[in-house]
Amino acid sequence: MIDVELRGDEWLARATELKESGWWLSDLCGLDRRDLGFADRFGVVTQFLHRERRERQIVHIAAAGEPPTVPSICSLWSGANFFEREAFDLFGIHFEGHPNLTRIMMPDEWEGHPLRKDYGVGKVEVDFVPQPFLQIQGLGQSPNSKEAMEKVDDFGQTEDGQRRGDSW
Amino acid sequence: MTRDQLIRQVENEGQGAFVEAYDETDNRMVINMGPVHPSTHGVLRLLLELDGETVTKCLPVIGYLHTGMEKECEDQTWRSAVTIVTRMDYLAPFFNEQVYSLAVEKLLELEVPERGKYIRTMIAELNRLSSHLVCFGTQGLDMGAMSAIFYGFREREVILDFYEMVTGLRMNHGYIIPGGVWQDLPKGWDTAVRNIVKLMPGRIDEYESLLSNNPIFLERTKGIGVLTAAEALDLGASGPIARASGVDWDLRRDMPYDAYGEAKFSVPLGKEGDVYARYKVRMAEMRESVKIVEQMLDGMPGGDFKNMDPKVTHPPRAELNTSMEAVIHHFKLSTQGYTVPTGESSATVESPRGELGCYVVSDGGTSPYRCHVRDPSFVNIQTLSPMSVGGLVADLIASIASIDPVMGGVDR
Repeated sequence: MIDVELRGDEWLARATELKESGWWLSDLCGLDRRDLGFADRFGVVTQFLHRERRERQIVHIAAAGEPPTVPSICSLWSGANFFEREAFDLFGIHFEGHPNLTRIMMPDEWEGHPLRKDYGVGKVEVDFVPQPFLQIQGLGQSPNSKEAMEKVDDFGQTEDGQRRGDSW
Repeated sequence: MTRDQLIRQVENEGQGAFVEAYDETDNRMVINMGPVHPSTHGVLRLLLELDGETVTKCLPVIGYLHTGMEKECEDQTWRSAVTIVTRMDYLAPFFNEQVYSLAVEKLLELEVPERGKYIRTMIAELNRLSSHLVCFGTQGLDMGAMSAIFYGFREREVILDFYEMVTGLRMNHGYIIPGGVWQDLPKGWDTAVRNIVKLMPGRIDEYESLLSNNPIFLERTKGIGVLTAAEALDLGASGPIARASGVDWDLRRDMPYDAYGEAKFSVPLGKEGDVYARYKVRMAEMRESVKIVEQMLDGMPGGDFKNMDPKVTHPPRAELNTSMEAVIHHFKLSTQGYTVPTGESSATVESPRGELGCYVVSDGGTSPYRCHVRDPSFVNIQTLSPMSVGGLVADLIASIASIDPVMGGVDR
């Protein structure tokens, strides 16, 4: 289904060429091709728009290596910044030369890359920690402080069996 | 501690308002604005470096509304993924459905009947109106013109009532599906649309008389948050933001989809690229949308509203009583869904915020292998930095309002 794909080292030259001939970067996203039968598991899919010719094209780049790496095109289009951060965050594809390659959607301390195919939906359990509710004992004590949280068990109840917040 | 280290620290630890001068000899300080702030239009968080009241650096931090919708689509059937994508940009739900459906139709090589195309175009343009009305209202509110939001939401209510009449819901409709639309227009739809078409031009005049020549509004918007055409293209900005800077590009006119090829309308352009130009472009776009809605209303053809191929569409209810085939198709579609040939496809539409794209990959199964949505707000939010640097904090608020970001679309 993907006819032509570029290697990482060809990508920057090709992108420069595209920019010079008037193509505009419309979209960039990662793709996990685990079940699609490719030599390299990860790829980057970019879409370009030519306003004068009213044409669109899709360019595929293979992200080889561990971690998968492709060169960044932030120097050509500043708009690629967020796209590349997103692909890094959700697929773990590294972009060489990116000015600030950090997580963008997930929290900074998050482990794993959610859009990878081996990261199933619902695989990470979400703890629904009952929030202590309107229980400010002393002045300046936060109801969400660690001490306040420890007094509540998994069902949101205190030792004497009272549900927090009932008094409210 | 260097400035970058401090920004990093605020980014990691800072919650709520956080102020610290990082150098005693320097007046600059780092302030955290958002994610919960009345004028950041949702959960947009900005890290600002200020010199007095002047913004010297602006860093948008997003992800506070990230719910992994692209991942969730991979668990849905092709048909039911519509209910996920419609929740992305919640002010313009029909556009999300439309772009996803267009992408899937390309893979399926599925024809949409004329009536389906017309309904889609009409309802999308009504959606553009209701979305721009929110933008108008909140922009006025952010500038201190509180009455704007009452006027904007008053007419939005009329349009939302029409959605309710057609889809049963006011948002997250799931109305546009691959192959057409889910249901035909209800009885009395034409009077409802005719009323909106008659009502809107006068009301848009009213809005313009409220804000367009208001000296306070002009003071707050003219020459503020300037974005040049070159910057807009470099940052990937599209839609009213790019057009206000003079980029003459509208997908509806230049690469028509659905029934836009048969509609006559003009594409409003701005020159200055400031907040006021963006406001004016949106106002003019609303007038054009009314024209398109009117043309769709007058030219609405009869016939099927969706592709009636039983392989992708549930058979009509009446057929189930008489036809065994219909029962089989119904069972297959309800339990398993249809398969889509292996391949990739992409589609783009002009949403109220700019170029909305959808890229889908199929591995031949009954659910999308990958469904990526290029949301215009996600890209447009990057223009905030060049717009606001060098201006005042109050002007930053004006810039945010003029970008009109929808955080549901930014974070997906």
